[in-house]
Amino acid sequence: MTCQNKPKLLWLQSITCNGNTHSFLNHPELFFILSHFEVVHHPVLDSSYSMEDVIGGIVPCDVLIIEGSFQEEGFLKSGVEVSSIIKHYANKAKHIISVGTCATFGGIFKQKNPEAISGFCFNGEEKTERYSTHASKLISLPGCPMHPRWLSYVLLMISGKKDIPIDNLHRPVELYGYTVHTGCTRNEYFEWKIDTKTFGLKEGCLFYETGCRGPYTRGSCNKILWNDINSKTRAGTPCFGCTEPNYPQESFFRTKTNMGIPDKVPLGVSKRAYLTLTGVAKSFTIQRFTERLMEYDK
Amino acid sequence: MTNVTVKKLIEKIEGEAELDFTFNQGEIEDVKINFGFYRGIEEILRGHDAWDALVITPRVCGICNHAHLLAAVRAIENGYENAGLKINLTSKAKAIREFTLSCELIQNHIKWLYMTILPQLEKFVGAVSEENYAIKATYLASTITKALAVFSGQWPHASYAIPGGVTCDPTHLDVMQAQSLVDESIKFFEEVVIGLSIDDYLAMESVSCFSQIHGDFGKLLRLMLVNDMGDKGYSHDRFIVFGDSILAKPGRSIITNVTNVDISCVQENEQKGTVSKAVTYRDKFYEVGPLARGMVAKTPIVRSLHKRFKDSVLSRVFARIHEVALLLDYSKGLLNKLQLDEPSCVLNADVRLNDFDGVGTVEAARGSLIHKTTVRDGVITNYDIITPTQWNLGNSTKAEQGIAIEAMTGSLSIEEATFIFRTFDVCSVCTTQ
Ligand code: SF4
Ligand code: SF4
Repeated sequence: MTCQNKPKLLWLQSITCNGNTHSFLNHPELFFILSHFEVVHHPVLDSSYSMEDVIGGIVPCDVLIIEGSFQEEGFLKSGVEVSSIIKHYANKAKHIISVGTCATFGGIFKQKNPEAISGFCFNGEEKTERYSTHASKLISLPGCPMHPRWLSYVLLMISGKKDIPIDNLHRPVELYGYTVHTGCTRNEYFEWKIDTKTFGLKEGCLFYETGCRGPYTRGSCNKILWNDINSKTRAGTPCFGCTEPNYPQESFFRTKTNMGIPDKVPLGVSKRAYLTLTGVAKSFTIQRFTERLMEYDK
Repeated sequence: MTNVTVKKLIEKIEGEAELDFTFNQGEIEDVKINFGFYRGIEEILRGHDAWDALVITPRVCGICNHAHLLAAVRAIENGYENAGLKINLTSKAKAIREFTLSCELIQNHIKWLYMTILPQLEKFVGAVSEENYAIKATYLASTITKALAVFSGQWPHASYAIPGGVTCDPTHLDVMQAQSLVDESIKFFEEVVIGLSIDDYLAMESVSCFSQIHGDFGKLLRLMLVNDMGDKGYSHDRFIVFGDSILAKPGRSIITNVTNVDISCVQENEQKGTVSKAVTYRDKFYEVGPLARGMVAKTPIVRSLHKRFKDSVLSRVFARIHEVALLLDYSKGLLNKLQLDEPSCVLNADVRLNDFDGVGTVEAARGSLIHKTTVRDGVITNYDIITPTQWNLGNSTKAEQGIAIEAMTGSLSIEEATFIFRTFDVCSVCTTQ
C-alpha cells in the first residue's frame, strides 16, 4: 500500500490531559478514517516518524492536529520549546485542527496562568497574535474533550476536498450550529419549567437549579451521542458548557439565579421574552410531570 | 571506572518522559526520570466551589479520568461524614460506581497490553508481527467504555458521581444494553486475548497452568518466558494498596506478609530535576498497581507467580492482564444484581456543607489514587492529589532507589530498561498533574 498521495497527518500534544486522544480512540470507525491519511506522528498510535523526528522539524505535514493549550515559553520537549515545534508545523500544514477546548480557547489549563496560557489562535474569545498567520487554515473543535465524531467529520471533509462551513470562532456549523439542549431527553420538562430538584432522577430538567448550561452551550452532544450511547444530560449530569470560550466557570452543579430566574437564558432569547414565557408555562399544572415516569417498587 | 550517562526520550506512553541512564561497566547503575510539565490542577482548584473538583480533577488524565472523579467524590463524602453528615449510599449507587470504575480499568489494561506491551516486547526481542494490535485494543476499549457511558453519560470526562450517589437513573433497558456490551467484551477477551473460556481461565490457580492460556496473552507469556522476563525488573518487593475494591482491600505486603496501612504515613517529597513529587510510606518506596493488588489480596495465581518469579517483569505484566478477567467477570455480576428500585442518590442537591476536610482513595488502573480536600466557606482552600504513578515512578532518594529505577538497574541495555519502565504503565500526565 502506498501512502504517497495521502495527506500527511501529524497529531501534536501541547499542555494536555490526553483526553482528546482517548476520546478519538473510541471512534468505532477509527481505522477507516485514518486510512485516508498517512499518520506521520500520533501520541499513541504507531506512526512513521518518532517524536525525536518531530522535534527535529523534519516530518512532512499536511494536516496538523493540536491538542492541549499553548504557552510561548517554558514548556519544553527534549529541551525544545513546544510552541516553536507547533509553529513550525503550523506554517507547513494546509489544515490546522485544534481539538478540545484547551487547544482552541485555553480551557482548564489556562487557569493555572491566564496571562501566559491560551489556545493556539484564540485566548478565550479573543484572537491571539498567531491568529492572522494561521486563521485561513484553522478549524476549531472545542469540547472537553471533543467528541470523536466531530473530528472524523472534519478529517473526512478534508480528505474529500470539501469546504467546511465555519462560524466566527472557526467551529464547523454542522457540529456547533446546535446547542447541547437540542435532543436532550429532558426537553419537555424544560418547556414547562419543571426542575429535577435533585440528582439521580430521569424526570425533570437540570437548567433551573442544578447548573445545566445546555440551552446556551454550542455543541451536538445530544444529537451525536457520546460513545454512540448517551450524553451527560441524559444521564442526569448538567452540561458544564465545556465547548465554550469561557469554560471553566464557577459552580458547575448550581444554577446562578436572579430572583429565582436563571442568570443566563437560552441562546438568542431576550430576558424579558423569557420571563413572559416562564410565567405562562408555570401557570399550567400538568399532572404527568408531577409524577415519576415509572415506579419500580410498586 | 568512568560512568556514561545517556539521555533518552520515551514516547507512546501517556505523554512523554525523559530518562537519563547512567552506565557503569556496561550495566545500568542509575536512572533519573524526568517529566516535563506541571499543569497545576491543585492550584487551579483553589477558590473553586467544593463540587467543582468533580469536573476539574478528571482533567488530570484522559485515560483514568473516572478514577479521579471517584476519588474526588469520595473525598467530599468523607469530608461530609467527618463534619457529621452520615451518608449511606444505596447498594445501587455503589454497584454502579464500581461497575463504571471496572470498565475504566479494563479499557486501560487492554490498551496497555495491545498498544504498549506486545508491540514493545516484540520490537525488543526482534519478533515483530505484522498485526495491527491497535485495532484489537480500540475494539475492546471502545466496547467497554460504551457500557460505562450507559451510566455515566460519556467517557472520557464524565462527572456523574456526586455526593450521595450517582446522577443517572437507569432503566432495565439501559442495564440490558450494558449487559450485552459486557458480554461482547467477554467474548472478545475469550476468543482473542486468552483463547479459552473465562471460567476455565479464572479456575487456574498456579503457574503450572500457563500452557492452557492461548490467544495474544498466551503469546505474550511465551515471549516473556523465553526471553527471561521472569528474572528481570525486580524492585523492592514491597506493595501497597489504599483503595477499597473487589481487587484488594487496603494493606501492604512486604515479601508475602500483609499488614494494615495508615494513610497519615504517606509523604510527598519534591524532587530535583522533575516536576513530579515522589511518594513514600514511612520513608520507604512501595509499588502500587495490579501486582500490588494481587499480592495484598493474596490472589492465588499471582502469589504462585510471585513465588517463582518474584516482583519481576513477568509477574507485573501478568497481574495487570489478569485483572481484566477478574473485572469482566465481576462487572457482569454487578449488573445482574443491580436493584433498580433503590434511589440513585441519597442527598438532595441543595444539601451542601461549607466546612470540611476529606480524603478519598480509589484503586485506579495504575494503583492507589488519593485525593484530599480542604473546604472552608464552601470553597476549596487546599487540594492534594497523589497519583499511582508518583509511587512507582519517583526518583531515588539518598536512602533507596525509586520503584521503577530499582527495577531498571542492572539492565544491560536501554532497550531492555525502557521495556521494564513501560511495564509500570507509565503516565506522565498523572505523575505531574
Ligand atoms: S437538562 Fe439541560 S439540556 Fe436537558 S432539557 Fe434541561 S436545560 Fe436542556
Ligand atoms: S454536554 Fe456540555 S459539558 Fe458535556 S461535552 Fe457537551 S458541552 Fe461539554
